[in-house]
Amino acid sequence: MENQLAQLGVRIESLRIEALSAVAEASDAVGLKEARIRFLGKTGSVSLLSEGMRNLSKEERPVMGKLLNELRDAVTTALDSKESALTAQADAAALALIDLSLPGTGPEVGSLHPLTLLVDRAVQIFRRLGFSIADGPDIETEWHCFDALNTPADHPARNEQDTFYLPDGRLLRTHTSSIQIRTMVANPPPIRIIAPGAAYRRDEVDATHLAQFTQMEGLYVAPGVSLADLKGTIEFFFLELFGPGTEIRFRPHFFPFTEPSYEIDLRTEALGGKWMELAGCGMVDPAVFEEVNKKRGDSVYDSEKVSGFAFGFGLDRLAMNLTGVPDIRMLTENDLRFLSRFTA
Amino acid sequence: MKISLSWLREHLRTDKSASEIARILTDAGLEVGAIESTGVAIPKVVAARILESVQHPNADRLSVCKVDDGSGAPRQIVCGAKNYKVGDIVPLAQPGAVMPGDFKIKVGKLRGVESEGMMCSSKELGLGEGADGLLILSPETRVGTPLSELFPAEEVFEIEITPNRPDWLGHHGVAREAAAFGCGELIGITSPPVAAKENPAVASISAPEAASLYSIRRIDGVKVGTSPEWLRKRLESVGLRSINNIVDVTNFVMLETAQPLHAFDAAKIDGALTVRFANHGESFTALDGKEYTLSVKDPVIADTKGAQAVAGITGGIVSGVSESTISLLLESAVFEPSVIRRSIRNLGISTDSSYRFERGVDARGALDASTRATALIVELAGGTPAPELIIAGSPNASRILALRGDSVRSLLGITIDDTAIETLLTKLGLKKVEAGFEIPSWRNDLTREIDLIEEVARLQGIGNIPSLVRGIPSHSSEADRSYDFARGLRRRLAGMGFHEARSGTLTGSLRQADFSTGAVVTVRNPMGEEHSTLRASLIPGLLEAVTRNLRHGATAVRLFEIGRVYRQEEPQERTFAGFLLTGRSLPENWRGEGSRPLDLFDLKGILEALGDCTREITFRPATHARLPLALEIVIAGKPAGILGLLSLADTREATVGGHQGGLVVAELDLALLQEAVGTAFKEASRFGALPKFPAVRRDLALLLDTSISYSAVEHAVLGAKEELLSGITPFDVFSDPKGEKVPAGKKSLAIALTFLHPDRTLTAVEVNDALTRIVARLREAAGAEIRG
Repeated sequence: MENQLAQLGVRIESLRIEALSAVAEASDAVGLKEARIRFLGKTGSVSLLSEGMRNLSKEERPVMGKLLNELRDAVTTALDSKESALTAQADAAALALIDLSLPGTGPEVGSLHPLTLLVDRAVQIFRRLGFSIADGPDIETEWHCFDALNTPADHPARNEQDTFYLPDGRLLRTHTSSIQIRTMVANPPPIRIIAPGAAYRRDEVDATHLAQFTQMEGLYVAPGVSLADLKGTIEFFFLELFGPGTEIRFRPHFFPFTEPSYEIDLRTEALGGKWMELAGCGMVDPAVFEEVNKKRGDSVYDSEKVSGFAFGFGLDRLAMNLTGVPDIRMLTENDLRFLSRFTA
Repeated sequence: MKISLSWLREHLRTDKSASEIARILTDAGLEVGAIESTGVAIPKVVAARILESVQHPNADRLSVCKVDDGSGAPRQIVCGAKNYKVGDIVPLAQPGAVMPGDFKIKVGKLRGVESEGMMCSSKELGLGEGADGLLILSPETRVGTPLSELFPAEEVFEIEITPNRPDWLGHHGVAREAAAFGCGELIGITSPPVAAKENPAVASISAPEAASLYSIRRIDGVKVGTSPEWLRKRLESVGLRSINNIVDVTNFVMLETAQPLHAFDAAKIDGALTVRFANHGESFTALDGKEYTLSVKDPVIADTKGAQAVAGITGGIVSGVSESTISLLLESAVFEPSVIRRSIRNLGISTDSSYRFERGVDARGALDASTRATALIVELAGGTPAPELIIAGSPNASRILALRGDSVRSLLGITIDDTAIETLLTKLGLKKVEAGFEIPSWRNDLTREIDLIEEVARLQGIGNIPSLVRGIPSHSSEADRSYDFARGLRRRLAGMGFHEARSGTLTGSLRQADFSTGAVVTVRNPMGEEHSTLRASLIPGLLEAVTRNLRHGATAVRLFEIGRVYRQEEPQERTFAGFLLTGRSLPENWRGEGSRPLDLFDLKGILEALGDCTREITFRPATHARLPLALEIVIAGKPAGILGLLSLADTREATVGGHQGGLVVAELDLALLQEAVGTAFKEASRFGALPKFPAVRRDLALLLDTSISYSAVEHAVLGAKEELLSGITPFDVFSDPKGEKVPAGKKSLAIALTFLHPDRTLTAVEVNDALTRIVARLREAAGAEIRG
C-alpha cells in the first residue's frame, strides 16, 4: 500500500512537469487548446490518474485527492495564464498593424452662415439682458416706415432714389425701425425688444454696399428709461460681443425718430483696430409716441409717463470686418470655400 | 460740407490745432469725416528757371538741366520729364526737402551724372493728379519763391452736417458751435447798421406761406469783374468756382453766414420784385440755361414780366448778373422750408441755396447777411448802396421754450441742478427768461422741451452720463419661438453636413417663375431687371450657388437656406427652408468605401428626420414644371412644399462637365413644420415605460410586379392589422431587366417585420401565425409571391 501511494506521488510529480512544460511550449491558441484537452479533458492524463484513486484505501484517498487537486489547479492556472498571454500577444500584433497617422473619417460637417452666427451672438447677449424678439414684414407701409417715425413726407429718404417702392405704394422697409412701431401699436408698455431683419436701400451694389442688408433693431420703453440706460445697455452689448478692451464712442447725431440721438463708433482688435461707425441710437422722440397713440386710439405711450431708447445697427459690414472678407458680396454668393470656414 | 480751417479761424480765436478742433466739433455733433490738406507745406521747394537742357550721356530717357533757383549758382538737375522747354519756371525740390511719402531729396548721381535736387510734378508735391510731367508755373513767378507761398497750405474739414442744423452750413455757425464747446472765442461779424423800411414798389410778398421775409438792397454803379485772389482762393478751398466779383460775394457770404443771397441785374427788372407762386405752365429759364415749366406749387420771384427766379432755388438767365450789369438788386430772404422742398422735388433742381432754404435759415441773420454782402460788394466792385434796405414781411418773433429741470434729470439719468442747466444752455446763445429760455434766431430746430434736453445732453457730454444696465425682462414672444425653432433647425442641418446659404431676396423675375406658388411681388423702381422681383422661392438662389461651387471644383454640394419668400396673396411673407443636394455621398477616403451620387432619397431622409419622432412629414406624388420627379411635402396633412429632382437638361445647365448625379431640391414652409413638430415638449413626445421584452424579427422576400409600390406593400401589411407588429423596414430592392435574377416585369423586395408584446415574451407560434396572415394579405392585396 505504502508503495502504491508513493508510486502515485511520483506519477503526479512527473505529470506536473510534463504538463507545465507542454503549456510552456504551446505557441498559439490551437496548441494551448490541445494541451488543455490532453491534460484536463475527460480522457486527459490528469483525469485518468484520478481514476487510480479507486484502488486506494479510505485513509489514503484524502491525501491523494489533495495532491491531485493541487496538480489540477497548477495545470489550470498555467493554461489560463498562458492563454491570456497568447491573447494579449495576438491583440498587440493586430493593433500594431493599424497606422494611427491616417486621417479620421468622420462625417462631413456643415456650417452656419457668418451672418447667422453674428445675429445669434447678438440675440443671445440681448436675451441675457431680458430683451425678447419682435418681428415685422419686409414689405411695409409708408406710415410704419416713415410717418410714424417722425419722417415727414418731403424728407429726402422717402424719394424714389433711395427707397424701393411697390406698384401699390408700399415699400421695402429702409430700416428695421418700422418694427418698433408695429410692436408699440400692438402692445402697451413696457416694451423690451430686439428685431433682427432685412432692410433695403436703393444703393448701387459694390464691394461695400448691398441693396439688401441685415439690421438689428432694439427698443426699450418703460417708465423712467433714461439716456444712462441706453448708454449702459449699448456698452454692455458691445463689450460682451467684442470683449474687454473694446472702445465705444458716442457722437451726437440727428435722427428724426430719436432725441437726443447718437452715432456709435467702435474700436477693437477684432475689427482691425480702427474706429468704425457701427450704430445709431437715441431716446425715442415724443413725436413717435404721439403717432403710436393716435394709431392705437389711446394714450398709453404718454411721453410724460414713459420714455424709451432705441438703437439699430447693420450686421453685414460688421460680419465683413469680423471675417475679413474684402468684398461684402461674398456674404451672398454662398461659396463653399468661404462658408465652410464657419462651424456651428 | 467743406469747412476751411483758415476761414474758420477768422471767426474763432483759438490756439487749438486742426485735429483738436476736429475732435471738439465731432463731440458736438459735427462729424469731421476727413481733414484734407491742400497746397504745399514742404520747405525747400522753390520756383526755378530752366536755363539749359541736354541729353543725358548714359540714358536715353533722361536729360541734364541747369536751373536757376535764386541761390546764386545754377544747379545741375537730372530730369525724366519731357513737357518743359528751356526758360520755363518749375518747382525744384532742393537737397534736404522731404517729399510726401517721407522721400528725402539728396545730392546724388543718376546713371553717372550728379543731380542736385528734383524738379517736381504737381502729383509729387501732393497738389493732386494734374497732367503728367513737371508743373509749369506762371512765367511771372519770381525765381526762388517758396512753393508754400505760391500754394499756401490749407486744411479743409469734410463735415457731415445733420439736416436739423442748417446754422452749421456756414463758417460762422460752425465757429459759434466750436466756441460754445470750449474751443475758443467767437469773433463776431460787424457790418454798418442800415435802416430798413417797407416799399411795395420795390419788394413785396403776395404768397406769405412761401416767404416770411423778403429784402432788397439796391446798389448802383458797380463794376462787374474778376474777384481778388483772396476771394477766389477762399471759394476754391471749399470747392466753389469763382464766377465774378458780385456772384462770388453772394457765395462767400452764404458760406460764411449760411444765408443764401441772390443778385438781380436791376436793369432787367421791371417794377417790384414779388414773392408769389408761379402761374400754371409759366415757363422759366434758369441760370444754367435749362428751361422749366413751373406749376402753381413753385414759389417764384417775379416782376411785371414774369418769374425772374425760382425762390430760394435758382436765379433766371435773363435777370442774372452779367459783365454789363451796373445796378444790382441784392436779395436776402427767408423762404418756407416745406415750400422749397416741394419745389425742389417738383423741378428736380438742387442748389447750394436750396440746400440751405429747405433746411431753414436764420430769420434775423438774413438782413445782417445782406448788409455784410453790400459792404463787400462796395469794397470789391465799387458802387453806391441805397441808404435803406427795403423789406417785406418780418422776421418771426423770438420763441420762448419752457424747460423743467426734472425732465432733464429723468430723461438723461443725471443729477444736474437748474443753475447748471442754465449755464450750459447760455453757452449756445439761449437766454433765461421767466417763462423759460429764449431761443436764438438761428436755432429753428429748437421747438420743444425735448430739443432743449438734447442740448443739455450734448453740452454735458456723453462722458458725463452714467452707464446703467437695468430693465424688466420681457416674456418670450411668437417671434422668439420662431427664432429658436429656426436656430435649432439650422444647427441640426449643419450637423447633417449642410452649409447655410444666404441669398439676396431681390432677384430677376424669370428665375422665379417656375418655383413660385403665387403671383410674384415686383418693385416699381428696381436697380435693373436682375433685382426687380422679391423671391418667391429659395430654390433659384440655391441653384445659382450650386453652379458657382461646382465650377470651383466642389465634388458635393449640400446647401440649405432659411429665409423669407414673398407673394401677392396672403400671407405675403412666409419663412421657408430650402435645400439643395448633389454630388458624392462620401468624401474620398482611404477605407475605399464606395461613394455614390446623392439622390432624392438622401434628401427625403433628411426631411423625414426633420419631422422628429412625430412622423408628421409625409410625401405624395406631384407634378411640377421643372421637376420630372416630384413629391409634395405634406406636414400634418397640409401641403407644405416640394421635393424633387431637377430635369436632366436643367441639371446639365446648372452643373459642370463630369459632375456625377442629379440635382435634388426641396423647400418647405417653416411655420407649418414648427406647428407640427413644436419647440417644446408636447403630447406626442411623452414617453411611457421602455419595452421590457425582446422584439422578434422576421424577414420576407417578396416578388412583385414592378408597378406595385413600396407604399402599397406597407399598406397591405398594415392592412392585416396585426397588433403584435411594431415595425416594417425595407432592406433590399432590385429588379433585373434581363430577367435572369428576377423575371422581367417583376421586382424583388425584402422587408423586415418586427413583432413585440409589451407585457410578455412572444412565442414562435404566435409570431408565425401573424406572419402567415400578413403573407396572405400581401398575396391578396399586392399580388406578392414569397421568394425562397
